[in-house]
Amino acid sequence: MVAEQSHSPASSSISDSGAAALLECRDVRLRFGGTVALDGVNFQLEPGEIHGIVGSNGAGKSSLMKILAGAHTHYTGQLLLDGSPIRISSPQDSLRLGISMVYQELSGVNALSVAENLFLGRQPVGWGGRIAWGEMYRLATRYLRELDIDVDVRRPLGQFPLVVRQSVEIARGIHRGARIVILDEPTSSLSPPECARLFQLIRRLKESGVAIVFISHFIEDVLSLCDQVTILRDGRRVETASTSQLDKHEVIHTMLGHALSDTEVGYETGLQLPQRTSDPPVLRLENASRRRVFQEVHLEVAPGECLGIYGYAGAGHQELAHAIANAVPLHSGKVWIEDKMLRGGNVSAAIRAGVVLVAADRAESLVHDTEIYKNVTLAHLRRCMPRWLRAAPEIRLSEPLLRQVGCGPAAPRLLAGQLSGGNQQKVVLAKWLLGPVKVLVLEEPTRGMDVRAKEEVMALVGDLKKKGTAIILASTEPELVMAHADRILVMSRGKMAHEFQDTFVTKADLMKHC
Amino acid sequence: MTSNSEIRSRLPVWQSRDIAPLASLGLLVLFFSFATSSFTKPATLMQILSQGSVLAVVAAGLTFVLLCAEIDLAVGMLALWTACFCGWLFECPFAAGPGGENVAPIWAIAVTLAVPLASVCALGMLSGLLTVWSALPSFIITLAMMNIADGMSRYLTKSVKFEVPKLLETIGNHGIELTDRLMLPYSAIVAAVIMLLGHLVLAHTRFGRYVYMTGGNRQAARLAGVRCHAVVVGCLTISAATAGVGGLMNAGRLNSVSLDQNADLLLSAVACVVLGGTSLFGGVGGMGKTLIGVLTFSVLKVGLNQIDWIDDYARPLLMGAVLMVALVFNGLLGKEKP
Repeated sequence: MVAEQSHSPASSSISDSGAAALLECRDVRLRFGGTVALDGVNFQLEPGEIHGIVGSNGAGKSSLMKILAGAHTHYTGQLLLDGSPIRISSPQDSLRLGISMVYQELSGVNALSVAENLFLGRQPVGWGGRIAWGEMYRLATRYLRELDIDVDVRRPLGQFPLVVRQSVEIARGIHRGARIVILDEPTSSLSPPECARLFQLIRRLKESGVAIVFISHFIEDVLSLCDQVTILRDGRRVETASTSQLDKHEVIHTMLGHALSDTEVGYETGLQLPQRTSDPPVLRLENASRRRVFQEVHLEVAPGECLGIYGYAGAGHQELAHAIANAVPLHSGKVWIEDKMLRGGNVSAAIRAGVVLVAADRAESLVHDTEIYKNVTLAHLRRCMPRWLRAAPEIRLSEPLLRQVGCGPAAPRLLAGQLSGGNQQKVVLAKWLLGPVKVLVLEEPTRGMDVRAKEEVMALVGDLKKKGTAIILASTEPELVMAHADRILVMSRGKMAHEFQDTFVTKADLMKHC
Repeated sequence: MTSNSEIRSRLPVWQSRDIAPLASLGLLVLFFSFATSSFTKPATLMQILSQGSVLAVVAAGLTFVLLCAEIDLAVGMLALWTACFCGWLFECPFAAGPGGENVAPIWAIAVTLAVPLASVCALGMLSGLLTVWSALPSFIITLAMMNIADGMSRYLTKSVKFEVPKLLETIGNHGIELTDRLMLPYSAIVAAVIMLLGHLVLAHTRFGRYVYMTGGNRQAARLAGVRCHAVVVGCLTISAATAGVGGLMNAGRLNSVSLDQNADLLLSAVACVVLGGTSLFGGVGGMGKTLIGVLTFSVLKVGLNQIDWIDDYARPLLMGAVLMVALVFNGLLGKEKP
């Protein structure tokens, strides 16, 4: 079924034409402790080719590209550039070899001008080492014009929209002599016209002989832009094919691990969503918008119900989670808890009303230099503790909770920063188990956890749900959303794309609406 | 790893960063005991107590500010302002009497003390409000406040030296006679009470907990419903209040107030807090640490003055050098092992 999973080097050592490829990866493997990120990947890139890489979360896309960018250096296997073996052991190596990586979170300096960003670290200098400003502006304008980017290079980079900043970063790579440009999720926060502009730039680069690697969750973008597409799954290459031979359906099937012939409905991952509860909602969001992030979102959730919000990174559902819990203000729209309206940006009011956020970034939820028990009781001091705080009662209160969430070790006096990531997340949940929570808003609650920790954390969430807590689960992992949500809202580029309720749903259905 | 940390969790948490400041204090005391003949006499202890008490009061307030990851650069000038305002009020007719014979009634003394203290609290609160409202670092806002307080003192006093109430002079220079050679200065008692209060607030009240959490991770504290802005305003107000008390005590010790007082108070107080092991980045530290810091600083200052073969002009240099060694020593021992 998945015949091309083989990692024998023979299958891809020399390209069809017989000439050496621009870049070739042979049997590349990468491990992080016990987890295998890449399990023998072969990959070839020809000059002047736009090569798409797709795969679900954890398939190994980013790992592979970070090896090429010099960010992961403990890989095994062979890399060949123009047929000769290379070893990339730092980002500088990668730049010198002509590989330029444009990360999703851009690395430009927003306060500097476009020209300065373009020439960062290698400004043209004049007499006595002074920066030759006139020369620099003239050159910058010319370079950018060559790529059809027409901007005032004297203005600060931060004033321009994302697509321009991306373009400048790409131009910087090209200007430094990059022959391979790797773009990591470049379109996830772009509007359709901005996307079109970026694609135009990419096609221009292709004409000039630059090879482009395009990593994206957006299958349609990949199919319309790329010549070749490589599909990864579980750290292995499943297939490399010309985009003319593929359609979106097939790509999604292959990504998820189903052979092309297996097109009947009914994956083992598909499931029937339950009938919608008739209980009145505990939380309602009306016409909520936040500039450049999400627009016109309506949603409601009832006690004991779990609403899943699914979308790719940058779709706006994570910011939406923050907005629901009042941690960031809305620019328009309203949040209602039962019949009370919440004022935006006032977290303590939301917490008093029983709406609680567990943020994805654990750096935002724990005070690392402080004992675990103080973290657990922080939000409940007013309610659970007398005015005069003493360690003993706080420890007595938090210790059973730590046991309940399975935090190992359940040692309240330990500093929170000494725990592993999964255990930290359990402490965050323990922190909220202490109080009467009406609505629990979870943003990527299991990010970076192993399977067991994931299950334990979600079991706790399930218990809360049974006790009548409304759960809002925002995640980029379709498996997680499908496993726990009663209804699923799919967000795409800041808009509500579709709502699944009382129907049979598969991963492919979810992805189709992204 | 699990069992290891489980064992650690049962033990009282004594880490090298807790012990280092105590060790430096011990080393300094030991050194001065051998280096000078006069250091071990009771008079030295009294000197350390009376000199250290002003510093202790100011550092106590500053501890709150540093714990919540802010800084108050205005403490020295706020102390000066409080003392100047107090001296100026004391010469006004209501307190000085028509003939200026300085037999002020008790209510007048209360006014000359309470009004300056209220004004300094208001200035501190203003710094706090402007800091959270403008979202600028408190470093900048309190820098401006430092200049404002300095300017107000200059404008009010016009460089004239003022007298202060007798009560302040008593607190600054007298005390409870324990033996005929040992006296417990009143100023040390005031400092002890303020530090104890500060410790109790930090360790046992919600506000104190919020100060630590706001300093440790402001975003996490905010998401847990802590009103971090109010905490910051509170801390800057507290530090202004203690600066005011410190300024009054210092004026009492010198029995007058003039513009040259309290110039080095800010940096000494910051040095004390940091010397004790409280982090400049918030969340870690406490009043006990500040006490050790103040004692170290005072021992250093008094001890150096007693070594008579040191050139007087070399003392500040030596003071700075030893201070730097102590800070680096504490910092290195306190470093987290990766």
